[in-house]
Amino acid sequence: MNTFFLIMGIGMCLLVMLCLFRVIYGPTILNRAAGISAVGTKTLIILLIIGVVHRRVEMFVDISMVYALLNFIGCLVLAKYLERTGEV
Amino acid sequence: MIRESDDVIVRTVARLLMPFITLYALYVVMHGHYSPGGGFQGGVILAAGFILLVVTQGIDRVKRRMSQEKAIIFSSLGLLIYAGIGALCLILGGDYLDYGTLGRPLSVQRAEARSLGILGVEIGVALGVMAVMCAIFFAIFTPDQKNGRREQ
Repeated sequence: MNTFFLIMGIGMCLLVMLCLFRVIYGPTILNRAAGISAVGTKTLIILLIIGVVHRRVEMFVDISMVYALLNFIGCLVLAKYLERTGEV
Repeated sequence: MIRESDDVIVRTVARLLMPFITLYALYVVMHGHYSPGGGFQGGVILAAGFILLVVTQGIDRVKRRMSQEKAIIFSSLGLLIYAGIGALCLILGGDYLDYGTLGRPLSVQRAEARSLGILGVEIGVALGVMAVMCAIFFAIFTPDQKNGRREQ
């Protein structure tokens, strides 16, 4: 079971790399914003998988909840900024 | 200047989310000794709630509850709690922040006094961090009066 979660975590890290590619080379700013949001969500899942692997999932749930909250607020602030500058 | 968000969904979700964010921040502060978190992290989550309110409800409505002057007062209060508990330990004959000496005036065991002292210090840190984060955010997002530059 542990190996299964380990492989899943490594696969998730590879998916983060793909999202990061879109963040760096994204043609428009909206692609970059969506890429950053996806990276944040995947980081949350990776944190939970690390918790399962280390058998301390109740601690990592706390951290991942804070991460989800900050990701949400970051997305809102980014949207507000784009609205103000009139780039979209 | 940030104005109120046009979208009713964003405004309502932020209003509903704010008490839960505050409750979660208090949980992180209270459970700082035996789980990840503590004063700094709890303060950052508290400040994140305020930033969410500023982004969605507009800066004018939030400034009625938390202005720059209030933020500075709160940050000083947090520092006073932290340094005051440390100095109290010093006065009672221990080292700086040696919470065990607080047991005699509180009439509790030494170990319990240590737990309470850490909790008090963490509350002070959370208050200070929350106020400083809010002050930084307000300083960034209020228009610069000196240059006469008006943002929309």
